[in-house]
Amino acid sequence: MFNALADGHRRGILDALLAGERAVGELVDDLSISQPQVSKHLRVLSEVGLVACRAQGRHRLYRLKPEQLRPLRDWVSSYEPAINARLDRMDDYLIQLQREGDDSDA
Amino acid sequence: MTPNRHGSAVIEYPSNLEIVTTRQFDAPVGLVFDVLTNPDHVIHWFAPFEDTMTVCEIDLRVGGSYHMVFVTSDGAECSFRGTYLEIEQPSRIVSTWLFEGWPDAEAVETVELEEVDGVTTARMNLAFRDQTGRDHMTRTDGQEDSWDKMEDYLLSLTREGRPG
Repeated sequence: MFNALADGHRRGILDALLAGERAVGELVDDLSISQPQVSKHLRVLSEVGLVACRAQGRHRLYRLKPEQLRPLRDWVSSYEPAINARLDRMDDYLIQLQREGDDSDA
Repeated sequence: MTPNRHGSAVIEYPSNLEIVTTRQFDAPVGLVFDVLTNPDHVIHWFAPFEDTMTVCEIDLRVGGSYHMVFVTSDGAECSFRGTYLEIEQPSRIVSTWLFEGWPDAEAVETVELEEVDGVTTARMNLAFRDQTGRDHMTRTDGQEDSWDKMEDYLLSLTREGRPG
């Protein structure tokens, strides 16, 4: 997902799709890059589920699936217990250090 | 017995690519900074107790790097590394952050420390960024610009009411 979003042209394609469905030819015009490049980027975006396509006559129309970005947030939030546990260990260690400091002062 | 602050970290998500964690410690800011940045201290709290810390290297200067590795009880290796971008002792540390278990997920971590009446508040912002930002690793302006663009972009995609 990060990799799919990391490319400027792919973000350009997603931006163009924000306005609605587009055929490959229209994306080529919008972005001023070659059709093979547009097709390659669309394949990467399809693989991670960010775009979907349907056939209409001789054209394939691509559309955005922004709901696919939500799992990113869920994935990150699964690390919350680990974040809390690490800070709790740091807290305990700070308390222990200060207690030892007090003892050596006495 | 003093009540402890366990589990009190506040974890927020200002955007899809940003995690902000705020936590208070009953300790002076200088000590908190030291415990965060001195490997002799870090080795005591960074890894879960049942795990073994195998690498704990910190070169605390702008452009210096850090590397932490611990091995979990089931044998999995967790490796974190990064480079320091800004250091203002004892109040601020900015570094790149790469957890090798999260492919592609490189981030910039900003840690800000502030002491009020003997209590130090740590605010840790972990901002994931894209490949464009990685190319500008040594230039803060490039990073922020890239990160801002990514954030605006993701917000525009996830804003409610968008067609699609």
